[in-house]
Amino acid sequence: MAGPDLVNIVIDGKPISVPKGEMVIESARRVGVEIPHFCYHRRLSKEAGANCRMCLVEVSMPRKAPDGTVSLSRMPKPQTSCSLPAAEGMVVETETPAIVEARRGILEFLLINHPLDCPICDRGGECPLQNNTLRYGPAATRFSEEKRHHPKAYSLSEHVVFDRERCIHCARCTRFTADISGDSQLGFLKRGADMEVGVLAGTDFTSLFSGNVIELCPVGALLSRDYRFRARPWDLSTQKSICTECSNGCNIKLDHRARRLVRVNARTNEGVNEEWTCDRGKFGMAYVSSPDRLRHPLIRMHDRFVESSWTQALDIVAERLAAAGPTAGFLGGSRSSNEDLYLAQMLFRQTLGSANLDHRTGPVFPPAARYMSPTGGLGLHSTIAELEGVRTALVFSADLAVEQPMLFLRLRKAWVRGACRIVEVQPDTAGSSARANRVAEFALASAPYGEGQDADAAWDLVGALLAERPELAPGLPASVRERCQERAGVRVASDALRKVAAGLGEPPIAILCGEAVRRSPRMLEVLEALSTLGAALGAPSCVSLPCREVNEQGAADMGILPDAGPGYGPVESSGLDASGILAGVAAGKVRALWVCGTDYATEFHDRSLATRALEASSFTVYSGLTLNATASTADVVLPVCSVAERDGTYTNVERRVQRFHRAYQAEGDVREEWRIAAAVGMRLGADMPFADWSEVLAAILTEVAGYSGCSADRLGEHGIVCTRPGQEGTVS
Amino acid sequence: MAEKRVLLEHRDVPGIDTISGYEAVGGYEGVRRAVSMDPEAVIAEVKASGLQGRGGAGFPTWIKWSGLRGNPPGPRYVVCNADEGEPGTFKDRELMLRLPHMVVEGIAIAGYATGACRGFIYIRGEFTESARAVRRAMDEAYERGYLGPGMAGSEATFDLHVHMGAGSYECGEETALMSSLMGERGQPRAKPPHAPLPVVSGLWGRPTLINNVETYACVPHILRRGGAWYASLGTERSKGTKIFSVSGHVRKPGNYEIELGTPLSELIGMAGGVVGGALKAVIPGGSSVPILTASMCEGLALDYDSCRAAGTMLGSGGCMVFNDRTDIVKLMCATARFYAHESCGKCTPCREGTRWMYRIYQRIMRGDGRPGDADLLVSICNNIDGRSYCPLGDAAAWPIRASVERFREEYDYWVQHGRSPLGPDAVPEVH
Repeated sequence: MAGPDLVNIVIDGKPISVPKGEMVIESARRVGVEIPHFCYHRRLSKEAGANCRMCLVEVSMPRKAPDGTVSLSRMPKPQTSCSLPAAEGMVVETETPAIVEARRGILEFLLINHPLDCPICDRGGECPLQNNTLRYGPAATRFSEEKRHHPKAYSLSEHVVFDRERCIHCARCTRFTADISGDSQLGFLKRGADMEVGVLAGTDFTSLFSGNVIELCPVGALLSRDYRFRARPWDLSTQKSICTECSNGCNIKLDHRARRLVRVNARTNEGVNEEWTCDRGKFGMAYVSSPDRLRHPLIRMHDRFVESSWTQALDIVAERLAAAGPTAGFLGGSRSSNEDLYLAQMLFRQTLGSANLDHRTGPVFPPAARYMSPTGGLGLHSTIAELEGVRTALVFSADLAVEQPMLFLRLRKAWVRGACRIVEVQPDTAGSSARANRVAEFALASAPYGEGQDADAAWDLVGALLAERPELAPGLPASVRERCQERAGVRVASDALRKVAAGLGEPPIAILCGEAVRRSPRMLEVLEALSTLGAALGAPSCVSLPCREVNEQGAADMGILPDAGPGYGPVESSGLDASGILAGVAAGKVRALWVCGTDYATEFHDRSLATRALEASSFTVYSGLTLNATASTADVVLPVCSVAERDGTYTNVERRVQRFHRAYQAEGDVREEWRIAAAVGMRLGADMPFADWSEVLAAILTEVAGYSGCSADRLGEHGIVCTRPGQEGTVS
Repeated sequence: MAEKRVLLEHRDVPGIDTISGYEAVGGYEGVRRAVSMDPEAVIAEVKASGLQGRGGAGFPTWIKWSGLRGNPPGPRYVVCNADEGEPGTFKDRELMLRLPHMVVEGIAIAGYATGACRGFIYIRGEFTESARAVRRAMDEAYERGYLGPGMAGSEATFDLHVHMGAGSYECGEETALMSSLMGERGQPRAKPPHAPLPVVSGLWGRPTLINNVETYACVPHILRRGGAWYASLGTERSKGTKIFSVSGHVRKPGNYEIELGTPLSELIGMAGGVVGGALKAVIPGGSSVPILTASMCEGLALDYDSCRAAGTMLGSGGCMVFNDRTDIVKLMCATARFYAHESCGKCTPCREGTRWMYRIYQRIMRGDGRPGDADLLVSICNNIDGRSYCPLGDAAAWPIRASVERFREEYDYWVQHGRSPLGPDAVPEVH
């Protein structure tokens, strides 16, 4: 029976109820019929699609005669199933002689100008044109004219190379830039058989998401500069992984060959990246096969590094950490796995008796309690997918497309759907050479603030909102009203801020802060003002300061904090925060320092303190992938496995615990960090009987609030979103 | 039957392109009468006239108009398709040039009847003189209050704009025209059953009426003299008059207005008869419709049904007459070149098929034709026909397929001998 939103249709004799308006090509999949296609993609607009004509089907509709009898009437022309909405009584045939003939004709047309250079084409072996030709196409061509010729390697962008001869003009790439990334940089030039994909006049293909068109291309026309001619698909092995280039935790596939990563493709996760990647992730992951990778432990001897055995290196580390005991310090970990970090904090807290742990780079070190608070503003206070449904969004001091690419795409999607008002407050970049912030393209209103005035702007925005909508004021504490009045005496909100305030509308509301807030000494003040703003709008927990690194959220959750243990559990006494640890190292009070993955010499907000500390340190062990500035100052350097070479979990910006899998065995003598921590612990008599990463995860589940459901077998393909600490249960 | 001039009645009156000249012969009475009626009553009058779209498809005009009435409040638009690009057709050009006020009046009536706030005349880019005449007429109509706020003494506001095309035949297709008008690439958009009709969702997603210049030009007469009067002209199923642009091997090429149902032979007679030889073939409705042999033309009446029965179409009324010095293969080579040049490139069959066919013709013209080329052309036509995104593909396929079927021996001669069966003087010249 068809419900109110279902219609009954018949596809190749199989009756089925499908949602009204669903495209027939999708309905066909429900009955196991795959209709061949090139241009159709369910995430791209139909309006500019239906052009390849490969998915033609024959369609009949019931027609009522004047005498009331109903009979089926076949449409005179075949219809493209990718753009045909299912309607009650529709009868679809996908394999009639006419359709078989039509497909053969379409393929012949597509192939007449296609170079058929499959033997040297990257796509050969995974090419829809090749596959469909094999199955539906003519065996021989009747085309005896000269094919169309173009240069074989036209450079479209930094990452994308274009072979125009192979293009079948399906408009997937042009639609991607128009519909999804929104740059609208690719389009069609010329017309008829001369039509070609190109970069539209007045723009360059500088999209931060350009690499997606390589995957979308149904032929080998759009190619990766890095991957071109590197491998044939059948020579590649693939492993499920997580992108490590930012906190979004995009699901990816690592294609590797001979223990080298050769290509990154998106892996679909509707909750995270849908099926997109950003260029930083897609092309930045190449670091795992970098020649700069450390392959052996290093020990400093007479001011030079010499290669050592793990036994020797670990002996030294264990001895020096034990000697330091409670005065040892641990810094970093935002790029390490949950398992690494859990054992690192266990080593420091339980074995060494030190609470000097911090993963942050400053300048502000909020108390751990704020991480648990729904109104604390730290972390992302919704899921990534929920951003699609917000009605109002304020982007505060964030270049969202760069800092949080998937959050940007979701917010843009909300805007495209037409039900979301987006406003922004950004540092004044007028006159500077800063890249245009992409949110500005669709923000309803935008207000700049001067250097150092972020918190003032935030408070002025509250004031402007209360001026705009005085009825909101009574709901706020008197102190807030006074504060706004004080500010009003100092400076009247600018016109631009008033416009931003006027744009703040209905819930659900998301207020997203960016990197500039994280690096601001007035971070807590900004968050307080914006939380007030949220409270005034009836959404006190809408403020988010999303974290930046791949496992920064996990580092906080695992207790790489001076004032909280795993799951923000209470500690007897707080240790030093990152600033305190570095100051302690410089002063000789912190007598052994472990820096894990993060290059504090360059990434810490106070570089001079970091440099002074690292130079003065009595003992530093650095664990990481390369010999960076911090590692260069260390006494012992321990090379670790990259994400491609190990198993584990990361926790992304929305607190989704996700599994990554080992793609291949690492080259050289490198180890997982949790094994390093366990080996040091064992030397010091600790009870760390972990033989496998999953045993560490099992220990995490019992201790970290919200993680209890995240067992290795339950994480599955798409991970599990943990609720905020203090809330019960998990949602997936 | 002779010419029956309704639209062209005052074509040659001096000053008819000015508003006083036009008003002197009853101009703008139609719009004044329309605004005195309910919009529904205006549409009823159009329905009574039996008027069918004059752009080529022959769709009943009143159904389109009434399609906008039921739509929700908000802006709605009226568009006049003046992108007359069909080879052999030049009626709209002359209507706009000589009788611009009639076109403006017709659009204004449509605007009132459909409740549109704004109209656009999309004029083919090359028609600079016609556009100048229309712009001048619009200025005068604004001055006299037939356009703008309180149009023609009503409470409605109707503004009119001219938009010049940029040289694309495809933009005469109504959905491509809308894309172009909105500043997008001139490519067609989805239609039923894939997307709603323009009357539901057209320009900027709003209800939009699109009619041809000649269709609008009929409307003032229908309002002034009544739908029943208009319906008394023509045949039972093809009402009214139609302007045919007669060209080719006739003594007096030009636009001739006749009642629908007039025999083709009379139309050719009006144009002074065939010159330079005996009649060989006629393309009755613009280059997109199948070609007729001389014998097929005998007794053919020019109305929608008769043409369809004869294996061709009335189309836009671009009637091209060819004498026996015409080489059909050369003629079709020129036709194939046109469609290959004008294909927008959006869909596979049209983009690839039109160019392929032209290249085969080029090869035949070089004397390199091969046995099987004629069949290959037919096969390519079959692979385009009904499978392209918009009717341009069909329009490229139909004339070529008909020419192979109806003049097969000429193709065979070309392929066999590498030259024209009519010798070096055969027309048309092919470059």
